[in-house]
Amino acid sequence: MLRLKSDPQEREFLNQVIVKSGQNLLECLQCGKCSGSCPITSERVRGPRRLIALILSGIKDQALKDQTWWYCVSCGTCASRCPVEINMYQVATVLCEMAESEGIKSSEPGIHLFEELFMKSVHKSGRVQELKTVMQYNLRTFNPFKDAVPGFKLMLKGAVTPADILWTGASNPRVARIFKRVEKIRHGE
Amino acid sequence: MENKVTKIGYYPGCSLEATGKSYDMSVRKVCLRLDIELEEIPEWSCCGSSPALKMDGLLSRSLGAHNLALAGTHDISKVVVPCPFCFRRLLSAKEELQQDQALKAKVEEVIEAEVNDRVEVHNLLGFLRYNVGLEAIRDHIKKPLKGLKVLPYYGCYLVKPADVTHYDDPENPVSMDELLDALGAEVLNWDFKTECCGASLAVSKTDTVCELSGRILREAAYRQADALVVACQLCQANLDMRQAQIGKQHGTQYNLPIIYFTQLMGLAFGMLYKELGMQRHLTSPKKMLKSKGIL
Repeated sequence: MLRLKSDPQEREFLNQVIVKSGQNLLECLQCGKCSGSCPITSERVRGPRRLIALILSGIKDQALKDQTWWYCVSCGTCASRCPVEINMYQVATVLCEMAESEGIKSSEPGIHLFEELFMKSVHKSGRVQELKTVMQYNLRTFNPFKDAVPGFKLMLKGAVTPADILWTGASNPRVARIFKRVEKIRHGE
Repeated sequence: MENKVTKIGYYPGCSLEATGKSYDMSVRKVCLRLDIELEEIPEWSCCGSSPALKMDGLLSRSLGAHNLALAGTHDISKVVVPCPFCFRRLLSAKEELQQDQALKAKVEEVIEAEVNDRVEVHNLLGFLRYNVGLEAIRDHIKKPLKGLKVLPYYGCYLVKPADVTHYDDPENPVSMDELLDALGAEVLNWDFKTECCGASLAVSKTDTVCELSGRILREAAYRQADALVVACQLCQANLDMRQAQIGKQHGTQYNLPIIYFTQLMGLAFGMLYKELGMQRHLTSPKKMLKSKGIL
C-alpha cells in the first residue's frame, strides 16, 4: 500500500478524502470489523474495508465507481465498531461529491435516481412528498405496479390516500433559496 | 397528582405526515396525556434525510441548521424528534457546526440566519424514558399490557454511531425494554435490537431490504413474539409493508404486528385502538391484542 511512502501527488486523492471527511483513513488497520458488520456488504458489494484499501492505495477511479458508498444506508454500525473510529458514511458523502463534480456515472443508477427524486421533492416543497417520490421512481424505472399491492392495501386501511400521491405540496421559498445558495457555493469553489 | 404542563418543541419530520402518520397520531395523544404540550416548529422543513447526507454535505448540514434556527426564532429551547433519522441529522448538524467555525460561517451564509447551537435535541424515546421518567408513565397506566410478549427493536439511527447520537448502548440498548416493562409487557431478549432493516433502500433495492428485514422477522418468529415494537417509521414500513413478500420468500406467513412503542403506551393508558392509528398497519394487531384481553 502507498500509505507510508509514495509520491505526494499520488497521495492527493487520499489526502482530499481525509481532509474533507474528517476521517483519518491512515489509521485504518484493515481489520475488517466494518465489512463484517456492514448490512450491505455482499458478494457483489465489496464493503468498507476494501473501499478504504482502494483509497489508501490511491486507486481513485475504482473508488469513485464503487457500489459500496451508493449502497451505504449510513446505519453507523461500522463507525460504532471500528477500533479507530472511522465513520464511513462521512467518507461516502465525500466520494459522492467527488464523483458528481468529476461527472462520473453512478455505478448504482437506481439508488442515485431515487435519491435525486427525493431531493427534488424537498427542493420543491420543503418537505419530501414521500409517496409521490416512490410513485415517480416506479414510473421512471418502468415498474409502475411494483408496490401496487401493499400500496392498495394501505389505501384500504386509510393509512395513505390518493391525495398523498397526487397532491403537489405548497412551495417553500426559504428552502428553495437554501438549495440555490448551496449550488452557488459549489460552483464558486 | 399535580398538573404541571411541560412545553416542548416538536419536529415530526416528513414521514410522520405520510407513511408514519399513525406514529404521529400516537405521539400526540400520549404526550397530551402525559401533560407534555408539543409545540410544532412552524414551517419546519425536511432534514435532508439520507439522500442529502449522501449527496451533499453542505446541503445536509444547512437543512438541519435551518430547522434549528427556526426553533430559535420561535423561542423553542428544546426539541423532541420521533424519527430517529431526523433526530440524528439535527443533532449532528448542531454538533458539527459547533466544532467547525469555518463550516458554521458557510452554513450561516446559506441559511441566511444565525446557527442556533443552543437548542437541545432529544429523541422521543429518550425524552419519555429519561426526562418524563418511568414513574410518571406508570402513574398513567390504566390497563397494563399483561401477557403481551414483545421484542423491542431499536434499529440503527437512534443509537448508532454512539459518538453521534450519545444515546443508550449501540449494541444492546435498554431504554425501550425498560419502558415496555413499565407498561406491564413481557419483554423478550434477543440479539437483533439494532440490526439494520435496509432503511432507505426500500424503494431502489427492495431485494436487499427483503433480505435484511427478513432476518429480523425470522428471528422474531423464532422467539415467538406477539409483536415487534419499533421507534422508527422506516423500520415499521419495511417490516410491515414487505412482510407478506418476505413470508412468501421464506415459505411461511409471519403475521407479526409491527407496533410503535407510543401505540403500546396509548393502549396501556386506556386509549382506543383507532385513535392510535393501529388500524393502519398492514399486519393487523387486533386479533392478537384481543386474544390477550388488551382490547
